[in-house]
Amino acid sequence: MVHYVFLLGAQSAWDMLHEEKSCKSITTSCSDLDEILGGGINCKEVTEIGGVPGIGKTQMGIQLAINVQIPAQYGGLGGKAVYIDTEGSFMVERALQIAEACIEDLREYDSFLRKDGKPCQINKQPNDFLANIFYFRVCSYTEQIAVVNYLEKFISEHEDVKVVIIDSITFHFRQDFDNMALRTRLLGGMALKLMKLANKFSLAVVLLNQVTTKYSEGSFQLTLALGDSWSHACTNRIILYWNGNERYAYIDKSPSLQSASSPYSVTAKGIRNSVSNCKRVKMM
Amino acid sequence: MKPEDLLQPLPIRAPKCSIGCPVLDRFLAGGIPCNSITEIVAESGCGKTQISLQLLLSAQYPTSAGGLSASSLYLHSEFPFPFRRLHQLSLAHSVLENPLDNIFVCPLKDADDLLDLLPRIDSLLAKPPRALFPIKLIVIDSIAALFRSEFDNNPSDLKRRSSLFFKISSKLKAQAMQFGVAVVVTNQVVDSMDSSEGLRIGNMRWLYSSGRKVCAALGLSWANCVNTRLFLSRTEEKVGDEDGGFPLTRTRRFISVVFSPHLPNSFCEYVVAREGVFGVDRSQGFCQTENDEPEFQRSFIVFGMKLRQVYTFIQQDLHNLCQSIVGDLINYSKNSL
Repeated sequence: MVHYVFLLGAQSAWDMLHEEKSCKSITTSCSDLDEILGGGINCKEVTEIGGVPGIGKTQMGIQLAINVQIPAQYGGLGGKAVYIDTEGSFMVERALQIAEACIEDLREYDSFLRKDGKPCQINKQPNDFLANIFYFRVCSYTEQIAVVNYLEKFISEHEDVKVVIIDSITFHFRQDFDNMALRTRLLGGMALKLMKLANKFSLAVVLLNQVTTKYSEGSFQLTLALGDSWSHACTNRIILYWNGNERYAYIDKSPSLQSASSPYSVTAKGIRNSVSNCKRVKMM
Repeated sequence: MKPEDLLQPLPIRAPKCSIGCPVLDRFLAGGIPCNSITEIVAESGCGKTQISLQLLLSAQYPTSAGGLSASSLYLHSEFPFPFRRLHQLSLAHSVLENPLDNIFVCPLKDADDLLDLLPRIDSLLAKPPRALFPIKLIVIDSIAALFRSEFDNNPSDLKRRSSLFFKISSKLKAQAMQFGVAVVVTNQVVDSMDSSEGLRIGNMRWLYSSGRKVCAALGLSWANCVNTRLFLSRTEEKVGDEDGGFPLTRTRRFISVVFSPHLPNSFCEYVVAREGVFGVDRSQGFCQTENDEPEFQRSFIVFGMKLRQVYTFIQQDLHNLCQSIVGDLINYSKNSL
């Protein structure tokens, strides 16, 4: 096909479709959720995931940081992860647990693929997974902005980074802001930078967000934090919520996916398909 | 500081502070983690303060014994400071040398007081006075009491309040990270009034304590400010009839995980004894305390007991009280000499 480039950087929709098809996505390890997401968390997009405390946002973040590293021959991206922790909830022991379960799954998949009795090809250790997570711990919103600005340089030096996770985007922006217009500007600028990053390096950006109550028409309603203008900042928006005793994920906004919801569960192995029996264990 | 400095090598595992009982430590996967905020939610009389006091002592043990070899800072907004109980607990930790010397105590009036104090303890955290252990544990008992008054239930006050939450939490988290401190805050419960579908936070649909439906005080925004939330609950269980016709009950206490990045949805029974708080390992059929189930003896409702029993109980308590007062006096006179 011959390209006539009239405008620098312009692309035809056909090219874009082609490109989008070649673009991979990161599995969430929950096949129901992957299905409604069209394969998982897409690269080149900014996805926001929000929910109440304890619903599993951080678990989702850690799971994605591990899953992005699944080697290409097993349908993964074989990439690395940048994890920006603003809340201090990233627990290494939990990441190790999820990495172990991931290796176990890969081994199982591997033995399923080759029945000829060849030895297993997976020689990854849980610690290798951890070594591929670049962990930034930020303690103020100025640091958060500085890190986001620095990411472009960092990722151009580490091109195999395929996912950037910010857990959470909100925390430092919920204090000390008398000037809401300034906050909106700062957040808008940050979202723009992240969007650019996602496009330039074809990586997935995942922003975790908190929920808050919004006072409107005389009553309090639950909504994701950071206000209305922020809700335009992300390509996709997924809301995690409780439905009875099950956790559900709901696609609230997406240009390409239809809104749908799917159950998921948080297990010892990480995010998995929901099993409806009660999982509460008695430890002692 | 440059942004690249914020890139950190992942630590092998966050150090944890033992809670002072092997069963509870196993339940908490090692104890209270450093670098994060752990919240203990409970109604009064469940043992929040007991657990916090016990933490002050167990933090002083060497790391090989599960502690942090550290001194601790206890900020209390509930008055008075339970010094006598702390002293009583410290008797059970005879291996520690002058355990009470390694505990800093500071009273707090309100939230602004706390916000004033936090930046000032930076230097204390960075460099402990004299030859003391570094401070690796901060306990705030309780956070709810700081917000008890002066905030109305209108949107502007609620907004001001939640902005304060985030300020406090952000400062605490920054200190926890910078100095490797474990932060424990206790929180109270409020009765959950609405029979409709309330907001569910964490593993349990409802929290129940003493047969009442409760939820953690300070609401949704504060829940966003802590990393781990534990819930202590108690239930009265009938164990038989005494001859006077009064029902004999005993209190069973449970600790459960409401949410946490590293703990599964689980719970564990515990008892409060004179020597401290201990988990009960029912699967192995024994109680972790030295005496055989002291809780059994202590939690009988006084009415249900024969007068003689009541008398011996009072006598015992008086005896303990005298002992601790004498102990205080001796300590006091030692210090003043």
